[in-house]
Amino acid sequence: MSVTAAPANIRREAGKLGAFLRRDLLVQMSYRTGLISDWVNLLAQVAIFAYVSKLVDPSKMPAFGGSRGSYIAFVSIGIAVSGFLQVGIGRLMTAVRSEQLMGTLESLLVTPTRSTTLLLGSVSYDLIYVPIRTVVFLLLVAGLLGVEFDAGGLLPGLAILATFIPVVWGIGAVTAAVVLTFKRGGGAVGIATFALTVTSGTYFPISLFPDWVEALARLNPLAIALDGMRATMLGGAGWMQALETIAMLMPFTITSLMCGAAMFRWAMRREQKLGSLGIY
Amino acid sequence: MDVRSVRRSFGEKLALAGVDLEVDAGRVCALLGPNGAGKSTLLRILTGLITPGGGAAHVAGVDVAADPFEARRRIGFVPSGDRTFYLRISGIENLVFFGRLYGLSRGEARRRAEARLADVGLEEAAGSRVNTYSHGMQKRLSVARALLLDPPVLLVDEATHDLDPVSARRVRQLVRRAAADGAAVVWATQRLEEIRGFADQVLVLDRGTVRFFGAVEELMLRSHARRYVLRIRSDGPQLPAPDAIQEIGGHGCLVEPVGTSADKIRLTLDADVQLGDVLARMMAAELAILDCTQERSEIEEAFLRLTGDEAA
Repeated sequence: MSVTAAPANIRREAGKLGAFLRRDLLVQMSYRTGLISDWVNLLAQVAIFAYVSKLVDPSKMPAFGGSRGSYIAFVSIGIAVSGFLQVGIGRLMTAVRSEQLMGTLESLLVTPTRSTTLLLGSVSYDLIYVPIRTVVFLLLVAGLLGVEFDAGGLLPGLAILATFIPVVWGIGAVTAAVVLTFKRGGGAVGIATFALTVTSGTYFPISLFPDWVEALARLNPLAIALDGMRATMLGGAGWMQALETIAMLMPFTITSLMCGAAMFRWAMRREQKLGSLGIY
Repeated sequence: MDVRSVRRSFGEKLALAGVDLEVDAGRVCALLGPNGAGKSTLLRILTGLITPGGGAAHVAGVDVAADPFEARRRIGFVPSGDRTFYLRISGIENLVFFGRLYGLSRGEARRRAEARLADVGLEEAAGSRVNTYSHGMQKRLSVARALLLDPPVLLVDEATHDLDPVSARRVRQLVRRAAADGAAVVWATQRLEEIRGFADQVLVLDRGTVRFFGAVEELMLRSHARRYVLRIRSDGPQLPAPDAIQEIGGHGCLVEPVGTSADKIRLTLDADVQLGDVLARMMAAELAILDCTQERSEIEEAFLRLTGDEAA
């Protein structure tokens, strides 16, 4: 029985993700203004960085694949990837917090649903929406601002992104555990997101930092992912570069996922023990 | 449902001091107790939201602590809170969502959701957002969610405490019907008047301790002092003073005035005194009894006696 039970359980839990996706899609569609303003913001973001790009001398930009691209090419990859960071960390925490505040958290927890499914389900809509938004952003940058992405580097770039997303998800699970335990945590999460983003090279090359900050920044998984993605998508570096980046990211991915899942389970058990799951 | 010696403390505060409870299929057990008695704690332990400090609870044969997921599949839960749904989406979409979390396929969840919405009289509002529902409608939706899987055990936490009488009666009827279909129901409440004719058994909890567990009729037998309000008229020249009426009533009968009303008295009888005998003595003394109402029900009397609040 145990041989067939495990896949059946996994199938059953995976099926629940579709329910979360539909729920959040319906909720998002009920806030039409919010949805429209998000796309307006996206356009505004493209416009702002297009103008900022005109101020930045391309010779000051780092080279990828032997050629120096424009600032807009550099920053567009940064913005695209950091979008996943914000979803993974911010949205996961917000999802748990808003379920607490709405009073629906206990309703979810009395269903036979695994905590991992609850966590993944809470961001399933974002995991679909953010890539779509990212692709549209990159298409706009390419179409309107003439940024040339290397077609051969897209798949290796996506492979790097796929390795990086679980790192973010693990950190997000830790923040969700913090919110469950302390009921707050927005400030700490904001600082962590800020620190990770600033030292990642999202908006400017990390070579501009003092040496010791740069050395630390090179250990930032977001910086590693960005470096690899810029090399493949802008510089045309192929699978070898991608595999090298993936190998560097893998310890972060495994550690982050394990810590995230363990901490969230621990937080849930602690709250069940204390009896304070519904308290906010 | 079988609960044995379940204990739980929050820090120094004892919330449950070894509770035993057994509810058979098709029976409604009212969980009665004042605020802080431990009713919600017991229900939260049964749903796995809180871990017990000791003891064991089995739901439809499944140990809640050992296999909480399997136990949850057998439990329908109506929480006390009024915000347990996603307000921006429709009633039916909420039910389909929760149905899928219980492992139903989308088609099956929708089919069951439609059936349950019809059962609770919400079929016309099924497609409307929950934020347009009245409080009573949300409660009925909550009952519909709890019954989605026809669970063998239904736990209801203060479902009627803030409902108008009509909505409250409707929710009770829905739950009674679930019991008639074979569910074992635990109904936590503070509303004493609603358990007569509704519950089969009562468990009275007070500060985490079981004060009584048995049939409703047995609980009513626990009431000793009985209070009645009488409206009287004298067929003689004038209405006698309360002390004079007390003398007429005889031993074991306490008579007090009710507010400033001249024609109303409160009669408190000892357990061994028959109301009929007292009324007969009054009528023989030319007092006409225009009206006689019980001030508190036997259930209330018993409850106050068991929870040590008789003076209230």
